[in-house]
Parts: sequence; C-alpha cells; structure tokens
Amino acid sequence: MAAILEISDLVVDIRSGRSTVRAVDGISLTIEPGRTLGLVGESGCGKSTTGLAVLGLLPAGGKVTSGSIRIDGQDIVGLREAEARAIRGRTVGVVFQDPMTALNPTQRIGAQVAEPLLIHGMANRSSAMKQAVDLLGEVGLSRPAAQAQRFPHELSGGMRQRVMIALALICGPKLLVADEPTTALDVTTQDQILQLFDSLQQSRDMSILLITHDMGVVAGHTDEVAVMYAGRLAEHAATPRLFGGYRHRYTEALLESIPTLDTPRGQRLATIAGLPPNLGGQLAPCRFAPRCAHAAKVCFDAEPSWSEQHSHGYACHLPRRIDTDPITEIAGAPS
Amino acid sequence: MIGFLVRRLLQAVAVLFIVTIMVFILIHRLPGGPARAELGVQATPTAIASFNQQHGFDKGLWTQYWTWLAELVRGDLGYSFKENSTVSALLVDRLPKTALLAGVSVLVAVLFAIPLGVVQALRRNTIVDYMFTAVTFVLYSTPSFWLSLILVLVFSVNLGLLPAQAPQGSIGAVLSQPSGLVLPVATIALISVALYSRYMRSSTIDNLTQDYVRTARAKGAATSRILFGHVLRNAVSPVLTLLGLSLPFILSGTLITERVFNYPGMGLLFYNAAVTQDYPVLLAVTLIVAVATVVGSVFADICYALLDPRVRYAHA
Ligand SMILES: Nc1ncnc2c1ncn2[C@@H]1O[C@H](COP(=O)(O)OP(=O)(O)OP(=O)(O)O)[C@@H](O)[C@H]1O
Ligand code: SF4
Ligand SMILES: [Mg+2]
Repeated sequence: MAAILEISDLVVDIRSGRSTVRAVDGISLTIEPGRTLGLVGESGCGKSTTGLAVLGLLPAGGKVTSGSIRIDGQDIVGLREAEARAIRGRTVGVVFQDPMTALNPTQRIGAQVAEPLLIHGMANRSSAMKQAVDLLGEVGLSRPAAQAQRFPHELSGGMRQRVMIALALICGPKLLVADEPTTALDVTTQDQILQLFDSLQQSRDMSILLITHDMGVVAGHTDEVAVMYAGRLAEHAATPRLFGGYRHRYTEALLESIPTLDTPRGQRLATIAGLPPNLGGQLAPCRFAPRCAHAAKVCFDAEPSWSEQHSHGYACHLPRRIDTDPITEIAGAPS
Repeated sequence: MIGFLVRRLLQAVAVLFIVTIMVFILIHRLPGGPARAELGVQATPTAIASFNQQHGFDKGLWTQYWTWLAELVRGDLGYSFKENSTVSALLVDRLPKTALLAGVSVLVAVLFAIPLGVVQALRRNTIVDYMFTAVTFVLYSTPSFWLSLILVLVFSVNLGLLPAQAPQGSIGAVLSQPSGLVLPVATIALISVALYSRYMRSSTIDNLTQDYVRTARAKGAATSRILFGHVLRNAVSPVLTLLGLSLPFILSGTLITERVFNYPGMGLLFYNAAVTQDYPVLLAVTLIVAVATVVGSVFADICYALLDPRVRYAHA
C-alpha cells in the first residue's frame, strides 16, 4: 500500500533574530493508510516542528532546508502557497494542544466547524452547517444542533477539543496531525479523547500522526512509535516491539521515567537528569551522550549510525541487550 | 445582555450624579458665588442679596443642590446675560453642530485608521509600516490650530478650493454647505487618525499571533479570509472602545478647530464664554462634556459586548 505520509531526510531550520536553530535534523518516517504513528520525546526535541512542517505551517523564520514530505504521493516541500492551502484542512487535518485558544472566541462553533468545507468548495453554506452539526454529534456532543449555536467559551475544555477534532475531520482528511491533543486536559477527559481518536480512525480509515511526550499514551493508542531526541530520530519500531524490546538508551531512560502499577507508592520517579541540549549550540556526536547513564568514550567520539532489523531501527553505540528476539516473543506483532 | 445593559446604565447614572455634585461645587467655589456668576462682576451687593434670596441661595447647601438639580433635569441651565439667552437655548443651537463636526471627523478618522492599522500589521516592521507610523505620529503631535492654519493656507488661500470660514447659522445652513466642513473635519481627522490606527495595528498584530489564526490557516484559509472572517472582528473591538473613551479628546479638538474656522459650535461658544467669563455657559459646557465622557464609555462597553460574546455572557 502506498504510504499516506512519507517524510525523507527532513531538515528544518528556524531562524530567529541572528541565530538559527536546526529544530529537525534529518528525519525519515512513513505512515501507512489507517495507521497511527506516535512521535515521542521530551520538550523542545522538534516534535511540533515536524508536525507543522507536514502542515506547511512552520513558524515565521522556519524553513524546510532539505528533504521531502510526501502526502498521499505529493511532495509538499516548495509548493506554492495556494497549492499548499488546497491540501491543508482537506487532505491533512490538525488538532492542537490547547483547545482553549485554538478556536475563534467570537464565532459560533458550528460555523467554525463548517468553514473548511466552504474554503475547499466542498459544500454550500446550508449543507456545510448540516454536516458540521452531524459531525459534532459524531464526536460526542449531545444536542449538537443547539451546541453549534454556542461560542467556544461556553464549552468545557474536553468539549472544545471535540469541536477541534470535528473541525479537523470535516473534509475527511487522509491524515490527522494531533499535536499533544490531550496534554491540556484532565486525565478522565484525556482518556475519552484518545478513545474517540481510536474509534474515528476505524470508522474513517485515516492515518494519525500522534505527537506526545507521554509514553503511556503511545503504548495504548499507536501502531508504531518514533522516539525523537534533539532533532533526530533515536529509535523507531512497531509499538509492541518497541515496548518489548527497545534498544536505544534514550528510549530506556524515557520508559524508566513513567510510573507503572508496580512502582511502590511514595517512591520518587526516576527522571532523566539534565535538560535536552540547546539546538543552536554545539552538540555531542550522540546528542544524548551528556545525559546518558551508559555513555562511553565512543559516544563522544563518533556519531552512532542507524541500524535496522525487522523494521526496528535505532542509533546507539551501546544499545540495551535483549535476550530473546521480541518478534518471536510477542505474538501478533505487526511486521 | 439586558441585565448587562441595565447594570451598565445604572452605573452611568451614578457617575452622572457625582458629576452634577462636582459641577455644583464648582459653581459655589466661583468668586462671589453663583450670583456674581450670573449677574457679572459689577453687580451691587443689594442686587446679589436679592438674587440670592430669589434663587434660594440663602438656603442650606443640600436644598440648593436639589433645587439646582431639579432645574437641571427640567433643562434649565441658567441664563447667560452675555449672550442674552437661556443657556439651554444656546446649547440646543450649538450642540448638534459640534456633534456633527466631531461625529463626521471621527468617522473619517476611523475609516482611514482601520485599513491603515491592518496594512501596518500585515507589513509590520517593514519600511511601509515605519513610514505610516512616522506620518501619523507627526500629525498626532501637530497642534490643531497650526494644522488648520496650514490647511487654510494651502487649500483656501493658495489653491482657492475650499472656504476658510465655516458656514454660519443653523445646523441646516451648515449642512447645506458641506464644502465648509471639509477643512475642519480634515484637521480633526488627521490629528486623531494616529490614535486609532496605532490601536488597530497593535490589536491586529495581537490577533494575528493568536492560536485561532493558526487554526484558520490549518483549515486552508487564505489571508483575506483569515482577515475578514476572523481577525477583523476581534481586532476592531478595542478600537471601538477607544472611540468611546476618546470622546473628550475629540471634543477638545473641536474646541480649537471651531475657533480657527469660526465654526458656530459648542467649542466656539465655550471659547467665547471663557474670554468673557460667562460662567453659566462655561459650567453648562463642562457638564455636557462630562456627560459626553460618561456616555462615551457606556457606548464603548456596549460595542464591546456586542462584538465579543465572552463579555456579553460574562455580565449577563
Ligand atoms: N517559533 C520559533 N522560533 C524559534 N525557535 C523555535 C520556534 N519554534 C520552535 N523552536 C525551536 O525548535 C526546537 C523544537 O521545538 P518544537 O516546538 O518542535 O519542540 P517540541 O518537541 O514540540 O516540544 P514541546 O514538547 O515543548 O512542544 C526548540 O529547540 C525550539 O527552541
Ligand atoms: S550512543 Fe552512547 S550516549 Fe548515545 S544513547 Fe547510546 S549509549 Fe547513550
Ligand atoms: Mg510541541
């Protein structure tokens, strides 16, 4: 099957003032139709920048320096603005982190959800409104016709995020970019929204790029995981395979920092010491080396190369050892 | 919305009440009190005594205040011996003309300022932006009498295109000679355009960087659609608020301009009253300006509520 999203060797530079930051430095990813890829990593490692590049919405000063982004076969890098607009909102939808600010405060939500249909000439006003109300019902708003007449501030955060999802899906996109879609919500609501993603994905057969820093979210709601660190990919595998047999020491550190049911109460959670590097400054050959508990001399001398087996790739000199091949250990793992 | 309106109006009435008390105190602080104010500095002590008795000025302060307020409410603002007319008759003649001048000027200023501010916001920190900023600020800081004289010099004296003197007589006469309004309106509008365009610029920039604009772009909306469909409405509300709040500034602008063009409005009336120490007129105009300030701020709030549903409902 042809991939819906195919990112090859993507490099994104963001210039602000005199300095330039290489926010994304040579990333390759693909998402097949109907599948969800989780993009994880700590704050500032370039997840959002990757997502915004896919939408053609890089911040001012941001630019794809090299590489390609193919959406449904079409390379969107270097498209003219009008051509990029035709894809945005129609082939690719997006849900942002903060539902409190992502909606226009002075417009009724029905009109906001219907707008993409009008922009892309896919419906007239009345049919667009009707579709918007139907979709609001589908994403879980009760009495959607009445809700469509309300303003964003009259809804709770969770409801607004549902509105945002409806807005992203109204044109039936093939790809949904969800950038920390649940980070701003309380835990119960987070769960409901993630389940909504799962069910919408099944009913609509769309691909999702799920950006998050939460390994727990990734575990339950993705088919594949890409771990990002300081603008680079650290590790990439099918979700069960990654959790069963992660190799990269950064992935290890990330996973050790999430609580499990076995974590004794009151025990302090391990967090990764230090902060991700400033991408504008000097970087160690393995970018994680200054913080890595396993770092050796080689990690400061040479850049680890990407090795890949059974669609499981990572870049680490001293990977975590695994005794059994997880592919035989985990039954039914997608290849 | 109704509840918000009622509350806001009650508030305004309370403020107006305080304003009347302050104006009343002003009258009593006048040299010689209201009698001299009305009768003039040459009035004899006997005349003053009988005036005070006749008008109840020998009674207690509160009684006097209530009497004065009751007269005020009936529209009795006193008598101007200098103009030989009741003050209310003077105001009825002059106020509409000033309202016309101020209203048209502000309208013109805002009609220029809104697109100007939007263009500056879209081209922010470019040469275009800097140029407009420079020009509007030079105008803003120009004294209005000087600007009006320059305009008269160029358009009346040199080019002979427009009259240097405003039309005289009733508001009908003023309206029938619109060319006479052009230069006074231009003076006030040119000076105040910077005030509004600056606001429009910063409020547009502020909105353009909001998340909801990013959402609109993610929908595939073109810049024009983002501007007219989303940003403009959100960006214009602070400007309308400013409009209401800038009313005193506009009225003081008309004062000078009316004097230069000999425009027969309230400003000219006030100017002449100041020169001849015609206190009843001065106080009445002060009262009117105070009322206009309060009305302006109510107008600002109502505009804001109409444009921004968050305000409308938060106060409902
Ligand atoms: N508008 C911008 N101007 C300058 N630098 C930026 C801008 N946006 C992002 N960056 C830089 O790009 C890098 C990646 O940022 P990005 O927002 O993609 O990270 P992220 O992984 O999404 O982090 P978070 O979890 O905090 O959202 C950061 O180092 C940041 O400093
Ligand atoms: S390459 Fe070395 S420093 Fe980098 S993650 Fe692996 S072990 Fe740690
Ligand atoms: Mg981010």
